[in-house]
Amino acid sequence: MSTIGGGFGRYLRVDLDRGVAEPVSIPDGVRRAFIGGAGLGAWLLTSAETAGEPVAFVFSPLVGTPLTTSAKFAVVARSPLTGLLNDALASSHFALQGKMTGHDAIVLVGTAPEPSVVVIDADGTSLEPAGDLWGLPAAEAEQRLRDRLGKGYRAAAIGPAGEALVPFATVSHDGRHAGRGGHGAVLGSKNVKAVAVRGRMRVPLADPDRVMELAADLRTRSFGPATEKYRELGTLANLLAFNALNTLPTRNFQAASFEDAAALSAEQAADLKQRTRHYCASCTIGCGHIYEAGNGNGARLEYENAFALGPLCGVGDPAAVIEASRRCDELGIDTISAGGTIAFAMECAERGLLDAPWLRFGSGEALLRALDEIGSGEGIGPLLRMGSRRLAQQLGGDAPSFAPHVKGMELPGYEPRTLQSMAVGLAVNARGADHNRSGAYEADFSQRVDRLHGGSASVAAAIDTEDNAALIDSMILCKFLRGVFTDARIEWATLLNAVTGCNYDAEELGEVAERIVTTKKLFNVSHGWTPDTDTLPDRFLDEPLETAAGTTVTLPRERLAAMVREYNLRRGWDEQGYPQVEAKDLVPA
Amino acid sequence: MTPDGHSELGAIVLAGGRSTRMGTPKALLDWHGAPLVRRVTGLLARVASPVVVVHAAGQELPSLPGVELVVDEHPGRGPLEGIAAGMRALRGRCDAAFVSSVDVPLLHPRFVRSVAGALNGHDVALPVADGHNHPLSAAYRISLLEVVERLLAEDRLRPAFLFDESSVRRLENGEIDEPGSLRNLNTPEDYAAALAEPEPQIEVEAFGTLRERLGFSRTTVPAATVGHAVERLDGLAELLPHTLVALNGERFHADPQTPLVAGDRLSVLTAEAGG
Repeated sequence: MSTIGGGFGRYLRVDLDRGVAEPVSIPDGVRRAFIGGAGLGAWLLTSAETAGEPVAFVFSPLVGTPLTTSAKFAVVARSPLTGLLNDALASSHFALQGKMTGHDAIVLVGTAPEPSVVVIDADGTSLEPAGDLWGLPAAEAEQRLRDRLGKGYRAAAIGPAGEALVPFATVSHDGRHAGRGGHGAVLGSKNVKAVAVRGRMRVPLADPDRVMELAADLRTRSFGPATEKYRELGTLANLLAFNALNTLPTRNFQAASFEDAAALSAEQAADLKQRTRHYCASCTIGCGHIYEAGNGNGARLEYENAFALGPLCGVGDPAAVIEASRRCDELGIDTISAGGTIAFAMECAERGLLDAPWLRFGSGEALLRALDEIGSGEGIGPLLRMGSRRLAQQLGGDAPSFAPHVKGMELPGYEPRTLQSMAVGLAVNARGADHNRSGAYEADFSQRVDRLHGGSASVAAAIDTEDNAALIDSMILCKFLRGVFTDARIEWATLLNAVTGCNYDAEELGEVAERIVTTKKLFNVSHGWTPDTDTLPDRFLDEPLETAAGTTVTLPRERLAAMVREYNLRRGWDEQGYPQVEAKDLVPA
Repeated sequence: MTPDGHSELGAIVLAGGRSTRMGTPKALLDWHGAPLVRRVTGLLARVASPVVVVHAAGQELPSLPGVELVVDEHPGRGPLEGIAAGMRALRGRCDAAFVSSVDVPLLHPRFVRSVAGALNGHDVALPVADGHNHPLSAAYRISLLEVVERLLAEDRLRPAFLFDESSVRRLENGEIDEPGSLRNLNTPEDYAAALAEPEPQIEVEAFGTLRERLGFSRTTVPAATVGHAVERLDGLAELLPHTLVALNGERFHADPQTPLVAGDRLSVLTAEAGG
């Protein structure tokens, strides 16, 4: 019996080959050492019991408590896009119901014999045929499942892209996506359309009164100035500001400001087309802003999908960008990888490397056609479905030098040459180019570092923000809350202690973060990672960036290499990035 | 700047003069919100790196972020001693240095860029106005250090001796941007006249929710420093520290003494950048 609060000390192992499920205990030492979410997921993927290309839905100690923004889960598996460890998070009632089944994680191994839905409730686990759901958008499949199973059930599902094994397909629920790295394709490869859960267990809390007190305080703080941006305009508020700061990736990273940025900005879109706001389950921020797509449909517009389907493709027509977002949701694909791959293909077409004369920067029509071909697999769809890395390899020539990815994952909306702390974070992160696992841009948007020249302060920022992301993704809380904490690790320890009774302090949380980061790295080392992949595409290292302000910014290859080397050594790894420990040594006895 | 930190242009600010006619140390004179030495080094840092201040031993100086300090071991022997001290600090780190006096409140980075840009194979780029050389608003190759040291050893202390022995590109008014940068202050009257000059007009753009809070998306304010701009934008001071102020789309500046010049653009945005 577990003595740690906030969970149940076991995960549910579902063997899809045999159609059986069994609980497997998780030692208290592991729970303390990895907390939950992304951290526990990393441990699960290195555990011998989960052989068989596992995909883990991992909950966390804070799920099911009244702490705001805590209803989140991590999907953890080997990414079909990168071949490396990938954890993708989403917020929804799935996290609450899934955890209340009495498990800290649900791990699927093997492959179902036919398209199936995994149903987990108080009666046990069953595989139900999903032939009638195959081909449906995830949202529609979710609705049909609730109609069939009952309203208490919540399902995480894949769309048509996951079924077609598009390596940047998402897993979604309630319109929220565990978006990056292609977990939708992992489920598709297992013949799993959805996982439906309904739970009845209560989450054991070490100090329920203290949890209530902390939850009230956090809720109050979540209404303050640190979250105002997310509440009032959402992350789309980044777009116009990033444009002014020369950090808005434009036309496949050929520029860092976009002439039509104002038309896509939250400042303008909020007045013109906003329909409503959306709150995730258990959230008091409400960052989701739904916009009118012009045909009676609404679509969520956030910075990352707006940047990737807008400026990155040179498209400045808000109607086209909103509709493109909606189609990505419908297909169930990651908007960043979709936009990144299409923008790359646009440049290839303009350079004559790809025979698609219709595919041009700036054309909303071309953008929508490209998305449709990803969905249908017709035309150049099979090429676009590869993602930018594999497409570049297929096209050859100098295409790989400007394919916008790290380790196969397309870059998010942060220009690395003008955000050189972020450049380090993007280069070294375990899951590839991603802004949610490395938030070093926070330092770049401050006086703490020289964002145009990098250096040791940038390396320190890359490590610090990566560690904080590892912690917040393991507890789990929403990163949009991070501004409300004045001394984050001390306050996070306080929250965790009230829930788990573990008596963490800031120092131990620092050790937990390092352990999680190193565990991910060890997984990658054993799955084909090589030091030469800890870099950025040649474009960023060889091509100077001319900013709208008239200055020229460079990120020389030697500078990035020096920062990556310093990062490795500060992590206690060798200078190439190989950890000097084994996974088994990372779990305290 | 190259990856190993080598830059084309550094800067040397001579702050150790006796300020005899002014009667008070010029480096510490305030010009619309910042001491002159803070203003001049801050403006030079936009176009030159490193920036070195040569000062007298024991001289009082304000906080100068990112600036290197070098003592003039031979005060009272004129500007060549200070130039030599600065060049020794910069040797091997940059190709040339813009040398500036500390008493130039109207210095503009475009002026520095245009003077340094005129070096182009010469040893010195020397502005000339009304027939007068301006050796303390000029660019010098660091390779001149040997010549400078020899002249000092020979007690030939005037910059004119250096110009006799080097390739000098003389720049007339019409050849350089922002020639008003040359205006320096020697007397209390000069200082009073400079204080009477209006502060530069700065364009300010607000983003996101700050537009509603501050009541504008674009505006202009007279401000010689970031601090003055913040003070003059109603409501902004209270919104710090959840607000960032970026200068010309590049670096962020929280130091209120960060100097501003005509043509500058400030971007005001919320500090929470994630998404």
